[in-house]
Amino acid sequence: MRPALSTFLLRATSLTVVAALAVSACTSATQPGASTAPSAQAGPVAGGTVTIPIGADPTLNPWSPNAFVESLFINRAIFDGLTKPGKDLAPAPDLAESWTTASDGLSWTFKLRSGVKWSDGKPFSADDVAFTFNDVVLKPDLGAQNRASYAAVKSVTVVDANTVRFDLTRKFAALASFLAYNAGILPKHVLSADPLKTTSFNKGVPVSTGPFKVEKYTSGQSVSLVRNENYFGAKPYLEKVVFTVVPDPNTQIAQALSGDLQIMILDNKAAVDRVKSASGLLVVSRPLVQYYWLSLNQTDSRFTDVRVRQAFVHAIDRQAIIKSVELGYGSIANSPITPALKAYYDPSLASKYPYDPAKATELLKAAGWTPGAGGVLQKDGKPFVFTMDVGQRGVLEPVNALIQQDLKKVGVTVELNTMEWNAYIQKDVVRREYTATVNWWTYPSDPDVFPYYHSSAAGKRFNIPGYQDPRLDDLLVQGQSASDLETRKAVYKELQRYTSEVLPYLFLWYPQEIDVLSSALQGVPELGLRDSMHYIGEWWLAKK
Amino acid sequence: MIVFASALTFFFVNLAPGGPASVMRFDVTAEQREALIKRMGLDRPVTQRYVEWVAGAVRGDLGSSLLTDEPVAQRIGERLPNTLTLAGAALVLSIGIGIPIGLIQALRRESALDHVLSLLSATGLAVPVFWLGIVLILIFAVSLRVLPSAGVTGIAADTIAERLRHLVLPAVVLATTVLPTVVRFMRSAAIEVLHEDYIRTAASKGLAPRVVVTRHVLRNALIPVVSAIGALVPRLLGGAVVTEQVFSWPGLGRLALEAAQGRDYPLIIGLTVVAASIAVVTTLIVDIAYTRIDPRVRLG
Repeated sequence: MRPALSTFLLRATSLTVVAALAVSACTSATQPGASTAPSAQAGPVAGGTVTIPIGADPTLNPWSPNAFVESLFINRAIFDGLTKPGKDLAPAPDLAESWTTASDGLSWTFKLRSGVKWSDGKPFSADDVAFTFNDVVLKPDLGAQNRASYAAVKSVTVVDANTVRFDLTRKFAALASFLAYNAGILPKHVLSADPLKTTSFNKGVPVSTGPFKVEKYTSGQSVSLVRNENYFGAKPYLEKVVFTVVPDPNTQIAQALSGDLQIMILDNKAAVDRVKSASGLLVVSRPLVQYYWLSLNQTDSRFTDVRVRQAFVHAIDRQAIIKSVELGYGSIANSPITPALKAYYDPSLASKYPYDPAKATELLKAAGWTPGAGGVLQKDGKPFVFTMDVGQRGVLEPVNALIQQDLKKVGVTVELNTMEWNAYIQKDVVRREYTATVNWWTYPSDPDVFPYYHSSAAGKRFNIPGYQDPRLDDLLVQGQSASDLETRKAVYKELQRYTSEVLPYLFLWYPQEIDVLSSALQGVPELGLRDSMHYIGEWWLAKK
Repeated sequence: MIVFASALTFFFVNLAPGGPASVMRFDVTAEQREALIKRMGLDRPVTQRYVEWVAGAVRGDLGSSLLTDEPVAQRIGERLPNTLTLAGAALVLSIGIGIPIGLIQALRRESALDHVLSLLSATGLAVPVFWLGIVLILIFAVSLRVLPSAGVTGIAADTIAERLRHLVLPAVVLATTVLPTVVRFMRSAAIEVLHEDYIRTAASKGLAPRVVVTRHVLRNALIPVVSAIGALVPRLLGGAVVTEQVFSWPGLGRLALEAAQGRDYPLIIGLTVVAASIAVVTTLIVDIAYTRIDPRVRLG
């Protein structure tokens, strides 16, 4: 059933575009001429409902291991963390007003906002913060999501009703940024029994502190939010926010075209022109803290030679990949730090590896790979042939096909092994039984990429290639230990330069998100839609 | 049969590669995975888990969903009425339209009308459900704006009228998976009956053609068609998976897809038991229907 359906959906993508074009003529006939954004100059007005599609039923608890990507939208609108991503993505105050770091860097003290109430009217306090961390996140047997991000946190202590202290086992400069990333504080008075398995909370009406609260959860259909009258901040403009469960991305597009949705992420970028031509809809691109990579398993001796890795990057036409699968919405990556992290990103590395098959051949030759039978490179009589596992998700299938073609041009034979996503994760991620694979990382808005690169994370944590390098380990630890921004910037600049040189992963590209929004919808910050959820109180609908 | 299906499913789904979605995520460490597997009880042998499942199932407890921690029976109970409504509407459409059309084709055999209708039913069988679904959404929801594109009911107003409006497109799309087969069966069965001696007798003894068709041709031709419809129910449930996905219809098909992708073992088994039960009940209904239509069959 699974493979057949995914083939269907893949084919649906191309067929839909054709179908959409076929009916576009009558669509424009039924709609009056395109109007420009209405009354943008007039100030915000209160009222109205915004509808947003999500792909599946959400789990309304940011720490539940079952809170998948579709849960992020609502959880960021209803729960508050100690911090939230600022509009520049640097950590900004949320439930915490301010924070300080001890001189040894081993403890952080957060001053909490006073007078905050939960949506059920009970007072919020430092006890809730301590409960969230000590009794949920740091409890190993609960398996809380994102637990790995807090490996450096020993415990959280209540100093007084409005102050908490995080005690650390090592320096952790990114703590405030990590606390802005899916780290909503949970209500102790509601969840003490089994905090991650309380279904009346996760799948019902949770008690929260954010600008909106859940009104009704209808499984398989929708989750509606209304204003939280107890919210500490400014009263939200919107009266209601409805998340509808629409699993098919093409149906989502149809709903945006028919005006049933006010904002959505356009996953099927092939439809972008069709959406652009519709009146009343705006198409915008947003930066993401995300990058695609090709991981070459470092237990395979062919890939431990840096010249081979560099040759591959020269051989892969990354600009062509961006153009073909992302329709140009992306830029070439040469390090793990994305352009969205403006304070740290080093743009000078962008042109480091131009598409250059001749250079690739030269580097491979230097590494001992010479032309053999049938144009396939060989070394010690063995041809350069390996398998790349392809997980069926997003753009991975076409990307792998393009890489296969590019590597063939320099004499490297790649066999593609396409797998259903869940089975793929088990083989490549859990068991690490793979030679090469393409995927992506999304991470908190901070350049601390320790979890994905440090030697200690090789094999069973997030260091997928299993690359181990003392010099890189040193940089990663320096970045975590740096106490001021300028020192951190310098460390991460060097980290970008070094990773672009040694290529622990082969960096492919930084994708951008395409959002489609109704021209009546105002006040949405220029962030990825999931990050914009932290600012949903500022969104408003212009009167038609 | 239901017991057999459950045992087979239980062992097969546990053999399938992968694991529960909470464990099979990129951003979960080996330590977390171990904790979660232990928490879900999946570290125990399959046979032990099956024995426990059977012990619960005979008491009506199908266990809890790994994805939501809700009871499996509750999750299925929420979705079952939606699928029955959708499949029922599609079946009614298929029978209501398919039988008259098949009969007309048989009566006007080899006419232009017969050829056109045959071509249409061949097309109906060939068109993929998801494609037809999206095209109908683009026409009726996006361009004409006369019907809703997704869901079972309006978010603002949940009324019978809204529910019927939401039912139209998915029911029509799902009907295309079985309607052409009903038409073809009806046509060939009616053609066969028309050649029978008793039809000629009925016509020659002066019965009005209308009476001959309704009382003799239709009734006798329905016997094979009814058994064909019984066999079409599983196909209808299969088609519901794609239809429910395209139209965001919260039914068992979508639930089954989520359960399979997320390796929600208890939910997959619960759904198999329900699907097997539906098949058994359908066979029973078909058998009973026989006794009503076919005078030669009597339930012993």
